[in-house]
Amino acid sequence: MPYLNIVEVESALENLATAYPGLAQLIDLPETSVENRTIRALKIGAAAPFPKDAVVMLGGVHAREWGSCEILVHLAADLLEAHQNGTGLGYGGATYSAAEVSGLLQRLDLVLLPLVNPDGRLYSQTVQPMWRKNRNPAHGGGNPAPGCVGVDLNRNYDFLFDFTTAFSPAAHPQVSASPCDPMVYAGPHAFSEPETRNVRWLLDQYPRTGWLIDVHSYSQDMLYNWGDDDNQSDNPAMNFQNATFDHRRGVPNDLDYAEYIDKGDVDNEVLLAERFCQGVAGVRGIAYTPKTGFHLYPTSGTSDDYAYARHLVDPRKGRVLGFTVEWGTEFHPKWAEMEKIILDVDAGLVAFCLATA
Amino acid sequence: MMSAVPNEPLPNDILRVRVTARDVDTLRALLHEVRPDTGGSPSIAPDGSAGIDAYVPEERIPTLEREGVTVVRIANASAKGRAAQAEVGAGNRFAEGAVPRGLAAKLPR
Repeated sequence: MPYLNIVEVESALENLATAYPGLAQLIDLPETSVENRTIRALKIGAAAPFPKDAVVMLGGVHAREWGSCEILVHLAADLLEAHQNGTGLGYGGATYSAAEVSGLLQRLDLVLLPLVNPDGRLYSQTVQPMWRKNRNPAHGGGNPAPGCVGVDLNRNYDFLFDFTTAFSPAAHPQVSASPCDPMVYAGPHAFSEPETRNVRWLLDQYPRTGWLIDVHSYSQDMLYNWGDDDNQSDNPAMNFQNATFDHRRGVPNDLDYAEYIDKGDVDNEVLLAERFCQGVAGVRGIAYTPKTGFHLYPTSGTSDDYAYARHLVDPRKGRVLGFTVEWGTEFHPKWAEMEKIILDVDAGLVAFCLATA
Repeated sequence: MMSAVPNEPLPNDILRVRVTARDVDTLRALLHEVRPDTGGSPSIAPDGSAGIDAYVPEERIPTLEREGVTVVRIANASAKGRAAQAEVGAGNRFAEGAVPRGLAAKLPR
C-alpha cells in the first residue's frame, strides 16, 4: 500500500465512517482549502452516557511531510477494527489489550484531521516534493516567483504572531514576514488561512479537548509547550501576554525571559511525552526524545502553543496541552520504511491516549 | 560524497547537507544570516559543536561554508522526493468502498 494521494485520503475517511457507523463520524470542516477542496476530520469513539474528553490530532500540515497523514489514517483504522472485533493491537513489541483499546474509545473521543493542507500535499506529491506551505497565491503581490505562493500554516496561529515585537533582537525565530519566504512565511495576520481557521473551529467545536497533537517530521522527538523560550514555573507575570517583556523573548539560557507554564501542566506534559516515547520504543527500540519546542531557536504561531495559550487568553476556554510529534529522520522515506514508522508512532499515540486517564 | 539516489540530479535540485558548527552561537548566527531551509531538530554534541540538516541547492552551499563550520553533502533531496512521488497511489484504492486497514496486528483477547 503506497502513500495515499489526496483523493484516497478523503475516501479512506468516508469508508471508515461508513464501515463503523457507531464508532466513527465524519466532520465537515467549515472552510474549503484555498484551492476549494473539502477538508474533513474523523471523530472516533464509543457512545457514552457522560461527556467525553477529546484528543485532537492533526496531520498533513506541512505538505512535504506526507507520512503524517498516513499515521493518523492507520491509527483510526486500527482502533476502529480492534474495538469492533474485540481484539487488542500489536505494534511490533508494543501491545495493547482489547480491554485497553475498548476502554480508550469508551473514555475518549479522538478527533483526527489527517490532512489539514490538501493543496500542499497534491503539489508536493505531483510537482515539487520539497514544498512545505499551503498554496495560497493571494499574499505574494503578483510576484511570479514560485516561493511567493503559500503560507507556513504552522506559523499562522495566534500565538506571538507579531514576532518582531515579541522577540528580542538577539533571538533568531524561525519565521518570516516576507510573502516570498519559501518556507516559513507566517501570513499577513494570524488565522489568515482557511486551513488554520479549520483547526481553530475544531478546538471551539470540541470544548472538552484536553490535548492536541500535531504530527510532523522530522527528528524523532516529542515536543511539548513552549516553543518561544525556555520554560519557567516561578513567575506567572512573565508570560506571552505581558507587553513588559516585548523585545525580550526567545534567547536561550538567558535570565531576561522565560515563558511561564503551570508546574502541574508541564509535569503532566512531560509524563505524557515520556509515555509516548516509551510506546514508540516498545515497537522496535527507536528512541524518541521528549523536549520542549524551544530548542536552539524560538518559534511563533505554532499549533501546539496556540492550543495551550487559548485558556490563558480566554479563561472560558478549556485547557489544551499542546504537543508536536516529529517522526522519522527524513521527509520522504521509502514506503517500506514509512510502514515501520507508522507502527512506531501509532504505538506511541495509543500509549499517550492511555496515559491521559 | 553524495549518497546513491535513484534519480539523476537535475538543475536546481535541492541537496540535503549536514551543517556542523563549532558551537551553538556560530550555528545560530549562520541560520539567522543565511536562513536556509532546515530539517530535523538541531543536535548539540558533548564537545559543544552543534549540527542541523539544511536543504539548499548546490550553488548556495558556499554561503554556508565559513570558519568553524563544516558542510557535508548527504543526499539529493529533490531526487529522493521524485522517487517517493512514484510511491504515491494512482487512482483511488478505496473507490469501491474498500475499508482501510491499519498495519497493527489484531491480537485475540
